[in-house]
Amino acid sequence: MKRLAVLLAFALAVPAALAQAWPSKPIRLVVPYPPGGPVDISARLLAPKLQESLGQPVLVENKPGAGGNIGADHVAKSGPDGYALLMGAIATHAINPTLYPKIPYDAINDFRHVALVVQVPNVLVVGNAVPAKSVAELVALARAQPGKLDFASGSTGSTGHLAGELFKQMTGTYMVHIPYKGAAPAVADLIGGRVDLIFDNLASALPNIKSGKVRALAVTTKRRSGFLPELPTLDEAGLKGFDLTTWWGVMAPAKTPPPIIDRLALEIAKAMESPEVKDRLRAMGSDAPAVRTPEQFTAFVANELKVYAELVKRSGATVE
Amino acid sequence: MRIKSPKDFWAGLMFIAFGLAAMIIALMNYQFGTSVRMGPGYFPAVLGGLMVFLGTVITATSLAIEGPKVPRLNFRPLLLVLTACVAYGYLIKPAGLVVATIALVFVSALGGHEFKWKEVSVLALLLIVFSVVVFVKGLTLPFPLWPEVFE
Amino acid sequence: MDILGNLVLGFSVAVTPIHLLYALIGVLLGTLIGVLPGVGPVATIAMLLPITFKLSPVAALIMLAGIYYGAQYGGSTTAILVNLPGESSSVVTCLDGYQMARRGRAGPALAVAALGSFFAGCVATLIIATAAPPLAELALKFGPWEYFSLMVLGLIAATVLAHGSLIKAIAMVVLGLLLGLVGTDVNSGVLRFTFDIPELADGFGFAVVAMGMFGIAEIITNLELKDKREVFTSKVTHLYPTKEDFKRSWGAVLRGTALGSFLGILPGGGALLSSFASYTLEKKVSSHPEEFGKGAIEGVAGPESANNAGAQTSFIPMLTLGIPGNAVMALMIGALMIQGIAPGPQVMNDKPELFWGLIASMWVGNLMLVILNLPLIGMWIKLLTVPYRYLYPSILVFMAIGVYSLSNNPFDVLVMALFGLLGYICVKLDCEPAPMILGFILGPLMEEHLRRAMLLARGDATMFLTKPISAGFLIAAVLLLLMVALPAIRKKREEAFQEAD
Repeated sequence: MKRLAVLLAFALAVPAALAQAWPSKPIRLVVPYPPGGPVDISARLLAPKLQESLGQPVLVENKPGAGGNIGADHVAKSGPDGYALLMGAIATHAINPTLYPKIPYDAINDFRHVALVVQVPNVLVVGNAVPAKSVAELVALARAQPGKLDFASGSTGSTGHLAGELFKQMTGTYMVHIPYKGAAPAVADLIGGRVDLIFDNLASALPNIKSGKVRALAVTTKRRSGFLPELPTLDEAGLKGFDLTTWWGVMAPAKTPPPIIDRLALEIAKAMESPEVKDRLRAMGSDAPAVRTPEQFTAFVANELKVYAELVKRSGATVE
Repeated sequence: MRIKSPKDFWAGLMFIAFGLAAMIIALMNYQFGTSVRMGPGYFPAVLGGLMVFLGTVITATSLAIEGPKVPRLNFRPLLLVLTACVAYGYLIKPAGLVVATIALVFVSALGGHEFKWKEVSVLALLLIVFSVVVFVKGLTLPFPLWPEVFE
Repeated sequence: MDILGNLVLGFSVAVTPIHLLYALIGVLLGTLIGVLPGVGPVATIAMLLPITFKLSPVAALIMLAGIYYGAQYGGSTTAILVNLPGESSSVVTCLDGYQMARRGRAGPALAVAALGSFFAGCVATLIIATAAPPLAELALKFGPWEYFSLMVLGLIAATVLAHGSLIKAIAMVVLGLLLGLVGTDVNSGVLRFTFDIPELADGFGFAVVAMGMFGIAEIITNLELKDKREVFTSKVTHLYPTKEDFKRSWGAVLRGTALGSFLGILPGGGALLSSFASYTLEKKVSSHPEEFGKGAIEGVAGPESANNAGAQTSFIPMLTLGIPGNAVMALMIGALMIQGIAPGPQVMNDKPELFWGLIASMWVGNLMLVILNLPLIGMWIKLLTVPYRYLYPSILVFMAIGVYSLSNNPFDVLVMALFGLLGYICVKLDCEPAPMILGFILGPLMEEHLRRAMLLARGDATMFLTKPISAGFLIAAVLLLLMVALPAIRKKREEAFQEAD
């Protein structure tokens, strides 16, 4: 009996002790994409700062595959000890759960959502050959010649694709979706005049907008962007309630002890306040996210999941 | 009927098998579409068909024109080298780089012509040191050195 | 002349001690990871990104660029010495480079690769300096029609890579095309041939396939030899190329440089073709095509020059339009963006010291690489005198680490082993892997461009012929097909007649 009590006490004490000693060995921050993309870059921005404040190496580990699902699933099934973290993104936690018919993890219940790191608006950009100078003119043009305009996107089921589908739906127009492998070749075809418009990530679209090779008509967020303050939002342009962003942030397996989550959230928030990280995230097109606590982040993810479930279903996009 | 060119005969059969498999899987599972809106099955089905055709031509020619024989296969190096690689991949995370390297070097060395314990041990040691210095320390790849239980 | 002034500005930036130092670090590191199979420039640059934050943008870019072309030099070394192509560009180098090495001519192969690359690098740097903006405009003329027709031409050229049976080469190309289709379909998002394995959703990795088909298959075949004969002849005749070698190479280097410089500009997969295209061209213009695949030095000189020229000119769309032609360029854009610089047409005007400094440093970096690589040849040759029973387990360790590190997943190592098996079977059946690899690279691109072209033209296939650039490529493809097929058919018929006699 006594032995049992000791065992019980021990079992209860373990999580607390674990949290206290945490971190006592290197932490892995899993990026579910190949090295070099914006999610990867921001993870590598954050890692050295966390390493400084936590006193243990923070290693970025790329686990790409299946649109990010492999890496996300890997962390979901890792030990909830605070040593396996995920840079979860809109794809892995809002779009894929509906886009893929079989998904091995639950975007809400298998994770603790620790901190939203980056949130970037998309911009509606048209090629210079397109006569429309505003969203209203573009809608009129699309109505006048249904099925004539082509909209490009970085891939089927990407935010750019879904933004386009939502646009079609809200304006009652028909445009042909042309999917690419990544946004870069799509932009090349946009500049070359072979496609008419794209909903591109603000940061990557900015240089060509500024040099006049393409024209921006609106941002996809409800708030105007600090980078192009004169550019209207789609909401202002008449598509009431249009509000899409691309985002990603740090997540942990669901049963990770709360003290570890709180400590992590605190250190990430501090790291993001430091000028070197802050300026660089801003350079990637990210205005400071309004989501600040783990609870807000979970609520945010849950809401995004709902929004995209609807959007993906209506767009008819699927991965079989 | 006599197989005059065994290499071509088997090569042709291999192509036919690949082509048939691709065609059948594509036609059964993926939409074929039209030439305007090609479905995901269009390209693989056409290519599979082309491959069956090429394979048939190769096999048919092998019955007509004399060619080289298939050399004798030696399964020992084949199996040991492949096993060594796969063992490394599956050992490195749970057992660490040291154990994985030892396994790969010893198993693959068994596939060679001569196997001397001392030589192979020294080689394994050198490769472990090199891997640690270059990959783990130098390029900071996230590999564990030792089995998880010791961490 | 404006360009002269700009180049002076560029060199004044590039030859400052601190920038020379970063260029040196870059090329050294690049050479190292290039030599190690599997660990590629993309992963390395991504890992170094946090370090570059502390550098000035110019220094950061110079170092990253150094890694990129350093890796190209290093990659050819591994291809020549141990038949391991870590990057698509070095597949072709394996064909004749490795055969030269086995005949004790690794030295001339390595030297010609380095010198050819250096020459190509110099020319390509000049091209970037003088004609970047108009060339970028030309690149923008390439839409899905042009790319598709270019790929068709590339595939026909692929059959020339083999030195054996033509029809088997074609079948191998088709096999490669099919293997390239494994994964998520770009247009519909449907998963094809993935058999519910999530790791296959992104298809087979290039390095995994190439290392299995070339590296592992080669090791197994060598171990099979009954006698203990060494794989590499110990009789090394020349460390450096002979006069004869130079005489045979210079034309190949010139043609390779021209081809590579042009194809490198195209962000939609052009650069991938450059070394293959150059090999085909050399084999076709050569007066002794039968030597190709058995250690013809032109087969190393041309493709190596082409690939380095292409690597340099692929900076053009990135620098002038902010459009990355490959993953490394995308990373460089990322690196610039977090430095607060958005790459695009305005960089040249707003930050001339960055633009011209980088261009000048490319030339400096190439010079460093030649100076670095030529003396290293002696060391590499020594490596080949290591008995094979030590050499091959070491090669396997490097391959396994490299492939595992691609996505930290044992699955990739398993796939490499499977392709090793397929490669071994192909060797036994005289089916050459090089055409398959090119098919594998081009397959997905070709399908993507074809379907996009049809979608954009709403099903009008005549656009492939009404677009002049596209039509030109298709005509060239038909001509090449005739050139390739006619001698082969004639040969087959002669064989058949001899049989009948």
